[in-house]
Amino acid sequence: MAKVQVLNVAVLDNPSPFGNPFQFEITFECMEDLPEDLEWKIIYVGSAESEEYDQVLDSVLVGPVPAGRHMFVFQADAPNTGLIPESDAVGVTVVLITCTYRGQEFIRIGYYVNNEYTDPELRENPPVKPNYTQLQRNILASNPRVTRFHINWEATMDKMEDSENVDPAPNTMLPPTSMPSKAQPLGLMPDNSMDCL
Amino acid sequence: MKLLKPSWVNHNGKPIFSVDIHPDGTKFATGGQGEDSGKVVIWNMAPVLREEDEKNENIPKLLCQMDNHLACVNCVRWSNNGLYLASGGDDKLVMVWKRAAFIGPSTVFGSSSKLANVEQWRCVMILRNHTGDVMDVAWSPHDVWLASCSVDNTIAIWNARKFPEIVMTLKGHTGLVKGLTWDPVGKYIASQADDHSLKVWRTMDWQLETNITKPFSECGGTTHVLRLSWSPDGQYLVSAHAMNNSGPTAQIIERDGWKTNMDFVGHRKAVTVVKFNPKIFKKKQKNGSTPKPSCPYCCCAVGSKDRSLSVWLTSLKRPLVVIHDLFDKSIMDITWTLNGLGLLVCSMDGTVAFLDFSQDELGDPLNEEEKNAIHQNIYGKSLAITMGSQLSSTIIENPEMLKYQQEQQRNQNPNGAQASGPENQTPKLTNVLNGESLEDIRKNLLKKQVETRTADGRRRITPLCIAQLDTGGTAAVNSIGMKSNLLLTSASKIEPMKALDSRFTERSKATPGVTSVPLTIGITPLDRVKDSSSVKEPKGKDETSSDSEDKIVVKSMTKRKGEMEGAEVVEKRKKGRPRKDAKIMPISQPFPQTPVSLDKEPSRLTTPVALLKLPTPSIQKSFSTQVSTDGVTYLEVENEVSVVSGSRLSQLKWSREGREWDTLLPSRIIIATGSSDVVAVACEDRTLSVFTACGRRLIPSIMLPAPMSALHCSGHFVMALTASATLSVWDVQKQTALVKNESLNPILSGTDATVSQSFLTRQGVAVVSLSNGKTYCFNSSLETWNLIADKQDSLVQCADFRNCVSSQDALGSMGPLALTQGRNLSAGRLASRLSSMPHHLQQGMTLAFLEKQLASALILLSASEYRHWLLIYARFLVNEGYELRLRELCQDLLGPVHKSSSSSWETTVLGLRKRDLLTEVLPVIGQNLRFQRLFTEYQDQLELLRLK
Repeated sequence: MAKVQVLNVAVLDNPSPFGNPFQFEITFECMEDLPEDLEWKIIYVGSAESEEYDQVLDSVLVGPVPAGRHMFVFQADAPNTGLIPESDAVGVTVVLITCTYRGQEFIRIGYYVNNEYTDPELRENPPVKPNYTQLQRNILASNPRVTRFHINWEATMDKMEDSENVDPAPNTMLPPTSMPSKAQPLGLMPDNSMDCL
Repeated sequence: MKLLKPSWVNHNGKPIFSVDIHPDGTKFATGGQGEDSGKVVIWNMAPVLREEDEKNENIPKLLCQMDNHLACVNCVRWSNNGLYLASGGDDKLVMVWKRAAFIGPSTVFGSSSKLANVEQWRCVMILRNHTGDVMDVAWSPHDVWLASCSVDNTIAIWNARKFPEIVMTLKGHTGLVKGLTWDPVGKYIASQADDHSLKVWRTMDWQLETNITKPFSECGGTTHVLRLSWSPDGQYLVSAHAMNNSGPTAQIIERDGWKTNMDFVGHRKAVTVVKFNPKIFKKKQKNGSTPKPSCPYCCCAVGSKDRSLSVWLTSLKRPLVVIHDLFDKSIMDITWTLNGLGLLVCSMDGTVAFLDFSQDELGDPLNEEEKNAIHQNIYGKSLAITMGSQLSSTIIENPEMLKYQQEQQRNQNPNGAQASGPENQTPKLTNVLNGESLEDIRKNLLKKQVETRTADGRRRITPLCIAQLDTGGTAAVNSIGMKSNLLLTSASKIEPMKALDSRFTERSKATPGVTSVPLTIGITPLDRVKDSSSVKEPKGKDETSSDSEDKIVVKSMTKRKGEMEGAEVVEKRKKGRPRKDAKIMPISQPFPQTPVSLDKEPSRLTTPVALLKLPTPSIQKSFSTQVSTDGVTYLEVENEVSVVSGSRLSQLKWSREGREWDTLLPSRIIIATGSSDVVAVACEDRTLSVFTACGRRLIPSIMLPAPMSALHCSGHFVMALTASATLSVWDVQKQTALVKNESLNPILSGTDATVSQSFLTRQGVAVVSLSNGKTYCFNSSLETWNLIADKQDSLVQCADFRNCVSSQDALGSMGPLALTQGRNLSAGRLASRLSSMPHHLQQGMTLAFLEKQLASALILLSASEYRHWLLIYARFLVNEGYELRLRELCQDLLGPVHKSSSSSWETTVLGLRKRDLLTEVLPVIGQNLRFQRLFTEYQDQLELLRLK
């Protein structure tokens, strides 16, 4: 079963000007001590038409996570306006919060986001080139869409048996900073990683 | 009889495999299939019982749902005290649920149904042991044990007071075990399996009581479950699917002799579930009719694959009622209300039905007193007595045992009372978050939370722990009001948009479960900053290019791995170097009793014959050493004190508490050592001289085959380790050789290890520790090297016998074995932290480890350690229920009761009288009532011998 259950996500600073950072206060519960960090990401969907315009706003590692109930605030900068198609700047889009453990996504929380001019005049006659300074971002916080995925919470079976039979120390003794981190620096595309290989 | 099918009790059309009514009758649980997971739901009973409650919107129907099981839930069962719910499923797990002390309702975050969980049930324990689907779970009377059975053909008995401890795994079925039931008296547990058998096991020793096969020989393994049931008076056991004359039946098995003479006949297809009414009934006295004494009877409901349900009274030959076509598919489970008048049935078709009987139909239920009177009558004891002891249901069979048990309780009680006090207080303390309210914490969370950067420049947040799990989560996080400052205008604009909607869930369609995040390597934080401004979303290519992405992942993973390995190699080399150096350089500190060499140059005494293998200490001008701890004794050596006619003389000086003597030797002394009885010195000219404690020479100089590497004395034993890696041990008092020039080759060959330590026990056993962590001793009667300690041994690390160490043992044993194994033993405690280590594996490892310790103590002739480990071993055998081994142990300690000349039995072991040891072991055995017969048997024989 899933070792981590998200209990609540509170959207802070909402509604807010478009340029404000996103802030989510995430409360989650963990069944047992996790030897590895959780990785959280905020993804801003730039356009409904294509995933090409998705932006990872930020990703953080969260750990160490002992058994119990925990909370933290995940803050990430507003999306890069240069990457948003002009036609999609105003209107409804989506922001996603995902969490992965050992590189496997196990929960995806989505919110509708409405970007709108506060000025009635601008609302009536929106400029062709979006004026981001006047845009207000409103996250529909009351209606999160949560999708959970089943993942393998343990290390692979073989590995687990090894660790049982050999030395129990490695996991317990590692200082948190030297935890093996699998996650990559954010915002890198597969194409790029191909290049560096 | 009233019949109701509450349509609101459903799993969205998915099958419901199990149903169980809570002992307090206010709620019931269902288990079955959920959306791509298993599902457990807790429902309110009131809307089932009363129509007005069903219509009342304010009365919740669903209390809580849990989708934590990864696969279909086959069984849900409430504990008898109602505190716990156990569930077992196809994910091989048994989960134990407990209600969290929550205030107010909460929703499952993001659940589409928006149905609030009125009650919070939290999984407090996951029991992992089965290697296949768990089919049935059952709590024993008084909730002492929880049993689970599985398609892995086994039944696990869990200690319900010490989860996840396994009391016993019952093995014997050769097919999928599909049903369990406890004897209400607590003496037996019965199981039914696809192997055409029903087995009854004793709870006293967990052995098979009887194996019933005849009524099942014709059965095919076609039913999903085989839920059998035991009658509340304990007299009858009724099986699920049995056959009689090729017709499906439910076989009645009598407790008395396990006779199978009767059955419930009439169902057209296999019986899947039988459930006895918890009440015992007596005939309703009708007004006017003459009151005649009638036998109490039981009531039993039978469900079948033929989709029909029958209810029987044991006083009637025909069923009380048969209901056909109640469901579209097979009946899966039945549960009675505690008052015995209501009945819930669930089916594979995903619906449940409720039957409500009147007392006119079933009879007058006996009250608890009357029921207890029946039990008292049949079994001589009332089941209502809740005994504190763990084996509440075991009957004490002999007065000795009773006396012993009572004594034990007396001894334990004062301690127990003291210990419970502070324990009760601790959970409350953990609830307080430094006196801060959650609201305060939330306000400053962003500022307060600890954020660091990892080595690769990534943000890492340490989450704030707001509640421990075991406190029941009193922090009411979920009641936080969501900020809904939504503008009405925007609400109208937010309509479900297909394109966006797909983004919420699409990952599950593309690659359910295994989503891989591409790994990237070699990007410096600088690059990252530059890139992040012009980067596109790395994900979402799953459908089209999942293959290529996978490849990238693999590639980058392997590269990572390569790097890691490279790093490891370097690390290893670093570690390796000093070891190699150590081989060349003389080892100084491992020889605590030998002179410390300050000289870095190895002594190169050329011995033409033997190859130098072990380092020899270098010659010093003078040195002193302390020998034998009782009475501080010093040995002082001064080489080349004087030159007399061309030969150089060396002086050996001995002093103890003012007394002293000295002697002269013609060659320079390399090593000098001594015990309380003797002094031994090895000289440069490869001679060994031995003196008494008074300085008298005992034997003429012994000529050694090679220079001395290490020399030890203990008592009147002298041990010599030569540079050519040979070992000799002499008893200088008897002037005999115990070990003669024995080569160390067997233990040194094939390794690059060197001797790191050596010593001689008081009993004259030579012990050699190597640098690879292994320690050997040489047994002169077997003429073998025996491995007595290994630091790398996984058994040492995984064995967990803390439960078996009594308080007086806790200090540990002193002796050669403890000396070689050192603090390494405590490493075994790490084992308990390995949460997912299967119990049986740990059990096996601990057993193997303890037996090794015992054998090692024996070969080291260390009596006190032998006794120490023997008691721990006995406690372990008792705790884990190894009866055969326990019996063998007792038999060996007791020996033949009647003397016979042919007997080769030794009365002592290492100087300890075996029967004295048995006297010590027996109380340990007596601690477990299961072994009371063993206890009595040996206790009696010991007593007999004592009288002789």
